[in-house]
Amino acid sequence: MRLLLAAAALLALLPFGLPPYAMTLLTEALILGLFAMSLDLMVGYARLISFGHAAAYGFGAYASGNFLLHTSMPLPCAVLLAGLLGGIVAIGVGWVCTQATGISFSMLTLAYAQLLYAVAFKWTPVTGASDGLAGIPRNPGPFGVTWWSTHAGFYYLTLAFLLGAFVFCRQLVRSPFGAVLRGIRENEAKTIALGYNTRRYKIAIVAISFGVAGLAGALYAPFAGFANTELLFWLLSGQVLIMVIVGGAGTLVGPVLGAMFFLYVQQKLSSYTDSWALFFGVIFILFVLFMPEGIWGLIQSRFKQKTV
Amino acid sequence: MDFLPFLVTQCLNALSQAALLFFLGCGLTLIFGIMRIVNFAHGAFFMLGAYVGYSTVHWTGNFWTALIAAPILVGGFGAAFELGILRRLYGRDGHAFLMVTFGLTLVMGEVIRLIWGVEALQVKPPESLSDIVFILDEPFPVYRLFLAGAGIVVALVIWQFLERTRLGLLIRATSQNAEMVHALGTDVRLVRSAVFGIGCGLAGIGGVMAAPLVTASLGMAPNAVIDTFVIVIIGGMGSFLGSLIGAVLVAFVQVFGTYYFPDFALAFMYLIMVTVLVVRPGGLLGKEA
Amino acid sequence: MTGTSGFSRRALLGATLASPVVLRHALGDEPIKIGMPCALTGPGGEVGEQMRRGAEFWIKSVNAKGGLLGRPIQLYAQDTAGDPATAVRKAQDVVERDGCRLLFGMTLSSEALAVVPKLAEWNAIFISSDNGDGRLTGSSFVPNFFRANTSGPMGTRAVALYLRQANFKNFYALGMDYAWGRNSISVFKDEVKKSGKNFIADIYSPIGTQDFSTYITKIRQSGADACYLVLQGDDNNAFLAQAKQYRLGDKVQLLTEIVDLNSIHAVGEAAIGLIGSSRYTFTFPGEANAQFVAAWKKEYGNVPDVFEGEQWQACQVLQAGIEKAGSIEADKLRPALETVEIDSIKGKVTMRACDHQGVQQGFMVKVVRKEGFADPIPELIATFPADQVTPACRQMTYDS
Repeated sequence: MRLLLAAAALLALLPFGLPPYAMTLLTEALILGLFAMSLDLMVGYARLISFGHAAAYGFGAYASGNFLLHTSMPLPCAVLLAGLLGGIVAIGVGWVCTQATGISFSMLTLAYAQLLYAVAFKWTPVTGASDGLAGIPRNPGPFGVTWWSTHAGFYYLTLAFLLGAFVFCRQLVRSPFGAVLRGIRENEAKTIALGYNTRRYKIAIVAISFGVAGLAGALYAPFAGFANTELLFWLLSGQVLIMVIVGGAGTLVGPVLGAMFFLYVQQKLSSYTDSWALFFGVIFILFVLFMPEGIWGLIQSRFKQKTV
Repeated sequence: MDFLPFLVTQCLNALSQAALLFFLGCGLTLIFGIMRIVNFAHGAFFMLGAYVGYSTVHWTGNFWTALIAAPILVGGFGAAFELGILRRLYGRDGHAFLMVTFGLTLVMGEVIRLIWGVEALQVKPPESLSDIVFILDEPFPVYRLFLAGAGIVVALVIWQFLERTRLGLLIRATSQNAEMVHALGTDVRLVRSAVFGIGCGLAGIGGVMAAPLVTASLGMAPNAVIDTFVIVIIGGMGSFLGSLIGAVLVAFVQVFGTYYFPDFALAFMYLIMVTVLVVRPGGLLGKEA
Repeated sequence: MTGTSGFSRRALLGATLASPVVLRHALGDEPIKIGMPCALTGPGGEVGEQMRRGAEFWIKSVNAKGGLLGRPIQLYAQDTAGDPATAVRKAQDVVERDGCRLLFGMTLSSEALAVVPKLAEWNAIFISSDNGDGRLTGSSFVPNFFRANTSGPMGTRAVALYLRQANFKNFYALGMDYAWGRNSISVFKDEVKKSGKNFIADIYSPIGTQDFSTYITKIRQSGADACYLVLQGDDNNAFLAQAKQYRLGDKVQLLTEIVDLNSIHAVGEAAIGLIGSSRYTFTFPGEANAQFVAAWKKEYGNVPDVFEGEQWQACQVLQAGIEKAGSIEADKLRPALETVEIDSIKGKVTMRACDHQGVQQGFMVKVVRKEGFADPIPELIATFPADQVTPACRQMTYDS
């Protein structure tokens, strides 16, 4: 717990020491961290492996992109609304996908994501088709509030969303709801036998997870200033799953670290060599072989703290 | 074009496409059925087969040797990877395999780029198969007939292999009850290595066969991965017959669907996938639900 | 001009010594930094590699002659893997971390579209050498963007002008289903109608299509005598290889927007007979190109391809602009670039102020077998004057 508070404080102070390009990289890492954390809700706490999480992310990005481009909604509102919309739509998606379990569930999520990709690719008025949406502004708030338009300002906004979502998720997994999820993860049959309608819980966690992922995507659109179909592509789904696993599934904090690690290593490696993908791949393989509990798991075992 | 020649040529097109999809899907489903591994690197093995085929043709001038060399080399590499790395991960979470095969895809993609370069490479089909044949007055490439035929032959061979040979029997038994097979005295680990090798070898042969049609290029792997997954999901993970049906279904829907509704070409595969999964969550012939 | 005496002293030093080794040790010579985020792996990797090589070749030759404004040039090339998000990240890196105010690269138009809105914020100037998207000099235009290369609409226009003289009457079109494919074919459709010929239909294939048998069947059935192709990379190679297997070329003349050596090398015989617009070909006549090709061959052992030539031209444009402005500051460089006119390897290129497009000739090539070359080569068959090929300011279509 103390470790987490220290980390939060560190993150809050960083803007004072870092140059602008590092700030933008860090902001992007936090956005991806939020994205990865949302996936951890499904993967780490309910063992629902989603191969299509990019769909939620991309959806959020396109939603907030449209709000910001076509209305004068203040930025934080656009982001929240986009996340909410993502969560609501995901109820339907969750209902369909939870018809199946295990690997079939994962495949359905992949199918949904690819369908969304195919649709986005052609739906020009809303998504700009293959070009995507460009020039997404960071709309000011009421009374001309624009502190989030600067590098540092947007960073703090992202940090606020991340910490807020973290607290929310932590409360969720520690609540009775979370206990049922863990029951589903460990032994679904038994949980059903105990009288719980596990399907409803699964749909709920899918919706919440997609909503938080949508929040992350909704932050990305004004951060980068654009949203395109790459944000829905299965490659991103694979990458965010890697972030969760590398960071440590089922810990909420781990995936955030995993995202930061992933982005940092990719950035660093690719500036030194064209063959960065090679080293990247080897790093994963080594991670799996020698660090199965992930980065956070390693840190925790060092400090001998209990898991969340 | 009259309807009958059109129908016949389109069916043949679909069959040749189905053959390639089958090579990919069959290997993946075998690996999943026996080892519960989702081999993310399957597209990379497919691509490796195309490049190995290119080099073999380059050195020997003979396409047929490539057809033999590619699956052996690619399958061998697959088996070696299983032996060296995958073996340590049994008993661990399914996540582990996903990560490792994802890492392998990255590594293979980059190594292939380093060895063969970033440009697409031509793989010529053998002279005997380069011609066209007239089917009801419409020209049709002999090579595609060869593909369709090869697909049928390989499907039969694998079927017989699974049904009639001892290793085939062991494979089928292991997919149902690995512990029992182990208790009966067989080294299940060898069966697993063999299966991974065979699965990758099948992907490799698919790659060589695809190369004259699409050239050997670095884009082959990501394209192949998604196609393969779709077929196997539709047919049912772990079902050999399912992968055959899935391949044929997807190929026919793609060919005829693209002809009549070209705007939906991209969406067809996924629509079928979602429909099948909603109706039968395990796939058409799948065992899991 | 700033510090004239210091400038000429340095230039003199550079000219008399003219040795790269000495320049490297010359202290106080702040290098001119050029950032180049481009696709070196992933889709567009082939093109990105060509662009980087073109830039490196130019930098080497300029540094050997004493640099630009007496300063050596330093290239910061970064791999974007063809992903727009990575392109923005890398562009940011080279601008904010490495201090580049000049940019090349952005291989894919989607990368360019993502980066250009940020150019003003970075006070950086970007000179495109391969982005074809008409909107970059149209609706998505920003003042810090300059296009030295032939754009997509210009390529299509060259094809259309050629067809006015040719015998083909009925046209079909196949393009990749995204912005470039759709834009080019809509320009083409327009042109065909204007010339009074018959446009039968257009069809679009998803990116990553590997089996073109259905499309080939449709083209064949349509009764067209010519088909316009807007495909690139793996899709292009697959189509050409398969079209040859179906002997499509015997019945329908294949026309294309880009003819590049990589593609010809990948499909070999299947490219013979292809007629298309070429953004740059080593077979283009003239002293300037001959010298460039010879120098390139000496350095790399083979002839330069489309994007290597285009990158060289873009570098020439930048050089002319910098020399004219005497500075690399965006506010001074921009007006200088707007009026640059050079005798490029492709003929005269004039940059224009209204949309920063390089006004240049268009030409058509035909792929033929020639003695002395391992692969078939693109032979020049027609040249069209710059004012006919380049659209009006900020436009993507043509009036006549």
